[in-house]
Amino acid sequence: MLGQKTDFRQIPVDDIFNGERALATLMTVPYQADEAGEVESVQLLQARFPDSVLATEDFRDQQAVTVKADALLGVARFLRDEMGYDMLLDDTSYDRLNLGQEPRFVGVYELRSVRHNRQLRLLVPAPDDKRPVLPSLTKIWPTANWHEREAFDLMGIRYKGHPDLKRILMPDNWVGHPLRKDYDINREEVPFSVNWEAPEFENLGKQILEPVVPVMEIPDGMDHRHLVINMGPQHPSTHGVLRLIAELEGEKVVRVDPDLGYLHSGFEKQGENVRWKDFVYYTDRMDYLSSMSNNLGYVLAVETLLGIEVPPRAKALRVIMAELQRIASHLVALGTAVLDLSGTSMAFLMYAFRERELITDIFEMVSGGRLTLSYMRIGGLAADVPPAFDYKVRQVLEVMPSRIDEYERMLTDSVIFRGRTEGVGPLSAEDALALGVTGPMLRASGVPYDLRRVRPYCGYEQYDFDVVTETGCDVFSRYLVRVNEMRQSLRIIQQALDNLPAGPVNVDNRKVVPPPREELDHDMEALIHHFKLWTEGMKTPPGSIYHAVENPKGILGFFLVSDGSAHPYRLRVRGPSFVNLQALNRMASGQYVADLIASLGSVDIVLGEVDR
Amino acid sequence: MDWTYLLIVTVEIIFVIVALLGGFAYMTLVERKVIGRFQLRIGPNQAGPYALLQPIADAVKMIFKEEIIVSNADKVVYMLAPAISVGFALSAFAVVPFGPAVHLFGREIPLQIADVNIGVLYILAMGGIGTYGLVLAGWSSGNNYSLLGAMRTTAQMVSYELPMGIFVASVVLGAGTLTLNGIMSVQRPWYMWLWLWVAFPFYFTVMLAETNRSPFDFPETENELISGFQTEYGGIKFALFFMAEYINMITAAAVMTVVFFGGWRGPLAAQFPLLGIFYFVLKTFIILLLFLWVRASFPRLRYDQLMSFSWKLMLPISLIYLAGTAVLVVLV
Repeated sequence: MLGQKTDFRQIPVDDIFNGERALATLMTVPYQADEAGEVESVQLLQARFPDSVLATEDFRDQQAVTVKADALLGVARFLRDEMGYDMLLDDTSYDRLNLGQEPRFVGVYELRSVRHNRQLRLLVPAPDDKRPVLPSLTKIWPTANWHEREAFDLMGIRYKGHPDLKRILMPDNWVGHPLRKDYDINREEVPFSVNWEAPEFENLGKQILEPVVPVMEIPDGMDHRHLVINMGPQHPSTHGVLRLIAELEGEKVVRVDPDLGYLHSGFEKQGENVRWKDFVYYTDRMDYLSSMSNNLGYVLAVETLLGIEVPPRAKALRVIMAELQRIASHLVALGTAVLDLSGTSMAFLMYAFRERELITDIFEMVSGGRLTLSYMRIGGLAADVPPAFDYKVRQVLEVMPSRIDEYERMLTDSVIFRGRTEGVGPLSAEDALALGVTGPMLRASGVPYDLRRVRPYCGYEQYDFDVVTETGCDVFSRYLVRVNEMRQSLRIIQQALDNLPAGPVNVDNRKVVPPPREELDHDMEALIHHFKLWTEGMKTPPGSIYHAVENPKGILGFFLVSDGSAHPYRLRVRGPSFVNLQALNRMASGQYVADLIASLGSVDIVLGEVDR
Repeated sequence: MDWTYLLIVTVEIIFVIVALLGGFAYMTLVERKVIGRFQLRIGPNQAGPYALLQPIADAVKMIFKEEIIVSNADKVVYMLAPAISVGFALSAFAVVPFGPAVHLFGREIPLQIADVNIGVLYILAMGGIGTYGLVLAGWSSGNNYSLLGAMRTTAQMVSYELPMGIFVASVVLGAGTLTLNGIMSVQRPWYMWLWLWVAFPFYFTVMLAETNRSPFDFPETENELISGFQTEYGGIKFALFFMAEYINMITAAAVMTVVFFGGWRGPLAAQFPLLGIFYFVLKTFIILLLFLWVRASFPRLRYDQLMSFSWKLMLPISLIYLAGTAVLVVLV
């Protein structure tokens, strides 16, 4: 049998461990963007709801329709059932107080049609400024649940018909809604030496607090007839400061209620208070295991808003970085998922980290950082790559295939691993789409939806790669998707590296990218541009865009509103793990506690992004 | 029975306890080193040459940790549980012959604390009672995770003890005696040895469950149950559970050495008793390394999967093995 690898996937797993594992059918997704269909949808919507459609907008080829709040439910149902908009990608809002538009609050609904490959944005003004209320879309797209809770929490919009409208990121006793434009961000006094004597800090550091035994509050719908256990925020398997409240019947999970917000850092609010270019550094800290992909998502969003395109060398380098990052992120995902199944004793985690180290070294070489990289800039890259880059990446390309095979021998071929993962954490394609699940989780449910293919950005259309799908809809499929995506990423990197174009890595637009240092000494124009960029910052045209990229964990979306100034007016981040985590209850209910952990590991969350 | 006999037994007991505690201490070091190498790490290397002082450093740390007793705990049982665990773990070793008889002071001293005629049953019994330590710890901690860990211990015990008992019965059937000394010394033809070794992988698997070792370490399962039954234990009480686990592991390896691999026997062992002890320790150590190898290589099963595994796979295999042994014994 030398040289011939047994494909264990073809052999049915022994029913000692698990029962039948039904395979779902693969959904077909057109790989051609249907832009005509998008325009047509807008027209059909206008024809069908002539009184409710207030305005339409076509900015940077993105269709946005303004709809009356009381017609939203009808419009949404029409779009979902008759126009095939099967996924609500994002559900957010913004405050138009300083834009001088009436009414003040607008709900934003970013829709995607996976079936027809279309996209459409709905803008819904909330009628009352004092007490903004919008209809809840949770009945139509269940994914709206957490999004609307977040909008309620941060923007103070109430959603009529929402099953469980309460704060999600901020503490329950928080006063005010931080993303409102009139929210005083300096409200809380911070101790400095100048105000150290202020009465607020009288007790600061001078008292030892009495230990408080917290009364465990049980969420609505759970009671003490079952065993309710509290997992986290300090727990070995919650991947950070996540708290899961699990209701158990014996060892079976009845319901899980994740409690988020322990790592909330208000990135969206901070984004409104820094210049466009400075938010790149914040994106590193969101999904800190894929900084490069976050950088890419943000700079592409701003470049779309500006309407500029970077030179081919920058595009190719960005693709290489994003794909290396995808491999690194998947390695951590696999390592920690196996850690969740095996405990700290099994060796796999360190194998994954050994390979990740090679990639982190490359990142260190190009950007100086190993975790927070900030390598990409609006209009290009921070710097061109050093000469040794090519050699180092080829080294990764050389060793990785055999290492991935080694993982497969350790895991795919292991009866115990398959017993622990097959049929565990089931999530059908319908559920996944309704819950807005994206990324490897969606593809493991048989939906080949990969933005790199269906909406190519950054030159992905030039590369030859497969959209990896599995139809098992379980933890094992998600693992397989990640493993095979690493192979596809290697293919993309190989192609990009072989055809790496020469040339500049920044756009030749002095309003966006500062001039090179040597020009400043003899060129007055360059000096002026440099001065303007550093004193005023880069200005963007007014308007709003939504840009999404395929991150290792799923679709990372940025909704940007510009008022023409050097700061974002509204900067919304759709974190893939935040949305994917919402599916945990669906996956874990009715299964064992151990499966809950396996399902959580297969979501691959990063709390920096979940809580933002 | 005279007083010298008592004295000899007392000395032997002290010797065995010291050896087991030392074995436990250095087993933790070996485990950390070996698992470290499996995981491409170096493992401990700071305390003394080759980290030889690491177990002492650990012990000092454990002893001087603050004693915390959770307010929800049932205090008596909570304190008693680690003692039960470690007490019965130590007792089980009493019947294991760890070397040939030595001639000292004109007497023949067997290197075995008690050669009772139901040695095998005694070991099964001690293992069974030792499990109560875990169950009581989980029950008395007043913590949901501990309770789940205790529940799992009970379910696990019911599942693995049956095939384990049947394998032991087969060995007893083949050897025709219940004493460990007898099982070790019985003369078998070569095919009986082969037949005996067929049982070793199965028995080893069951012993992994008996000693709560990975991939069957459900009572603690740090991934979902934080630390299972011992979540609320800290300091020296935690160390006692740890000690019990390792001593159980050593005992299990020693019993496997005696049953399957001839105990202390080896070339020249009968002439030089110290060589016999060396063989015994070496064989035991190799089996212990198997425990570590398994731990570094496999993910953990799910708790219901162990039960299916025990009842649907191990139990039939053990019954077939028992029948096979009976046929062999009758025919040969």
